Amino acid sequence: MLFNSIDFALFLPIVFILYWFVTNNNLKLQNILIVVASYLFYGWWDWRFLSLILFSTVVDYLVGVGLAREENQNKRKILLWTSIIINLGFLGFFKYYNFFIDNFVAAFTFFGNPISISGLNVILPVGISFYTFQTMSYSIDVYQKKLTPTFDFISFSAFVCFFPQLVAGPIERATHLLPQFYKERNFDYTQAVAGVKLIIWGLFKKIVVADNCAFFVNKIFDNPDVYSSGELSIGMVFFAFQIYCDFSGYSDIAIGLSKLFGFDLMINFKFPYFSRDIAEFWRRWHISLSTWFRDYIYIPLGGSRGSKLFQIRNVMIIFLVSGFWHGANWTYVFWGLFHALLFLPLLLFNINRSHLITKSYGFIDFVKIGFTFLLICIGWVFFRADSLFEAFRYLAQMFAFKSWSLDYFFKTNANMLLFAICVLSILILATQELIWVLKKKEIPVISSYGAIVLLMLLIFMGSFKNQLDFIYFQF
Amino acid sequence: MKKFLLKIAVYSLVVFLIANAIALISLYFLGQSNLYKPQFVKNGVKEKHFDYVVLGSSTGLTTLDTKQIDSTLHTIGLNISIDDSALNTHYLMLQYFYQQQKTTDCLILSVTPWDLGNDNPVLSDNDYRFFSEQSTPVVQKYYQTIAYQGFPVLKYSRYMPFLGVGYYNTEVFYPSIFTILQPEKRNRFDDRGNYSYPTSGKPKDTPQQTIDMVVKNPYLGKIKDFCKKNNIKLLIYQSPLYKTKVNMSQNELTLNHSAFLQSKNLFYDNLHVNKMGRKICSEAFSKQFSVLHKIKD
Repeated sequence: MLFNSIDFALFLPIVFILYWFVTNNNLKLQNILIVVASYLFYGWWDWRFLSLILFSTVVDYLVGVGLAREENQNKRKILLWTSIIINLGFLGFFKYYNFFIDNFVAAFTFFGNPISISGLNVILPVGISFYTFQTMSYSIDVYQKKLTPTFDFISFSAFVCFFPQLVAGPIERATHLLPQFYKERNFDYTQAVAGVKLIIWGLFKKIVVADNCAFFVNKIFDNPDVYSSGELSIGMVFFAFQIYCDFSGYSDIAIGLSKLFGFDLMINFKFPYFSRDIAEFWRRWHISLSTWFRDYIYIPLGGSRGSKLFQIRNVMIIFLVSGFWHGANWTYVFWGLFHALLFLPLLLFNINRSHLITKSYGFIDFVKIGFTFLLICIGWVFFRADSLFEAFRYLAQMFAFKSWSLDYFFKTNANMLLFAICVLSILILATQELIWVLKKKEIPVISSYGAIVLLMLLIFMGSFKNQLDFIYFQF
Repeated sequence: MKKFLLKIAVYSLVVFLIANAIALISLYFLGQSNLYKPQFVKNGVKEKHFDYVVLGSSTGLTTLDTKQIDSTLHTIGLNISIDDSALNTHYLMLQYFYQQQKTTDCLILSVTPWDLGNDNPVLSDNDYRFFSEQSTPVVQKYYQTIAYQGFPVLKYSRYMPFLGVGYYNTEVFYPSIFTILQPEKRNRFDDRGNYSYPTSGKPKDTPQQTIDMVVKNPYLGKIKDFCKKNNIKLLIYQSPLYKTKVNMSQNELTLNHSAFLQSKNLFYDNLHVNKMGRKICSEAFSKQFSVLHKIKD
């Protein structure tokens, strides 16, 4: 079920009413309702993959129970690895099996020993990377004794499949979200109103900015050869806004929905395009994933301790894994590598923490923001392209500076109109976010009148005919 | 909770009222313009009676030039075709045309074998062009009864016009703002409703094929009944197709131009003639039309 669908518009009020009015604030009933609603929400897409979520839930629940009862360190280790192997096994099979087979065959062929292994026609279960990481974090935290394991299977199931963030995050930590399922929840008016405003802001980002930009992005990236440098540059910038608004829009809606049900999810984006360097970008972009990698891979690897060479190794690992997490394609790995190469100079010169989010902004900061944004946009070309060859072809064509004509956007009345909508919606978004950044806000703060204006923009500027799935569903 | 629900209700009502007010203003200005065919038929056509009208989709719009035909035959014709439409839209347009107190002696119905063979007609891509006329009974009935693919936006827009105006914002809302400044502007058709494709396009080379026209579409029967009831002579016209011959039924009064043009240079793509092709077709049509007209009499 998509947040921007009619189905969800009917589903949400029904669940909301049942949750607050029918369960009579009974915690157990509320949690059961969350599990049922979440399974319905996910099963709407493909009910067959509910078994995967259920299996993952049972495994990590039992691992948690086992870890609670087991004191022997070796046996605890076995339990932890059982969870990791099963979770990563599912992820590897559904997401990376064909990638590894293809590359295995290509490698053998390259060295003169062609072999034939056929790939499988595997459907990638929506959100598998998100809930797998969430459940793994539970087992790791319990193993490290940072969290007391739960014996309440319903609460644990609700934590794993909580529908607002099930398919595209934020990837919650068990230490933050799971305890919220044990506490009695009372309706909070202020939280609920803030939640509704966040949902509206998220829908604006998705339906107005992302889906409108997608029209041009898809056409330009499908056949970059026929476009001028100017058109390719705009296609690249539009994709930067499409991916940001698509993904952060989802997170905003997820956080807003959670507030309606009395939950607090972690902030996933802090206006990342106002970053002054790549290090700051990663403190503002997909925070739930970058902190996951930091806590469960980077720090266990040694983090920023040790020699520079050791630190470089850790940074490379973290960025390459982050790239690979996004998908089974070399383009994502290269995207990770690209960011690692931009980050390393900052690390080597020890200036990777010079732009902390709370620092105020001067003129030179805006120059840095522009330059950082340009670098991020170039990285997005690798992320969006179907192959590395296509990405380099796109960039080569763009940096050939053959022509700066923007004819494509003015070719027909429809194109001209849509282009104007894209530019206007990006300007509205950027201006609003700039105001929040200058006011040192970390999350969108919207007045009631602002919410009405946003709804009007949503109705009259939204791309309803070309509605698209959220991009991060595929990850 | 009560306060929250009240706030949601009040704000929803405010949004509902403002959005509908904007939508109604938008539809009003669109309805006063000549932008799309329905508005053009209502506001831009002075004559009440025609010797013939051409009705169809893009093939009807771009193959027969009523200006050329009229100059040859000294008739009064009008092209009321809408691109990206189907027989259901043609039937709606015919009814709408009559509801505007306009009449015709003859209906040239431009068809395609694919449309005639479709037994499951649904809302066409450009049916939103009637949206500003939704208070007209035929349009109202059409939006309520036609099958939709996905959410039936136009069906529910009767009492909530913001749904349709928002959904079709680039086709209805923004153009309606434009019509405030230029109410006479027509969207890609001339003052008799004709349009032609440029000579720049070229069809793709495909093997020669023959298609038997099979009628499954229920709207052809409805059009025939309407013509019979209103004493309109019906001529079914098949426009030229590149390397495709259509075998038409002999039960109707037909004019088959499917294999009439062979040269690639006369086509814009495989389904449509270009400006040069249109000229030749209109010339041939004029000659054949006068003969057929007499036969039917």
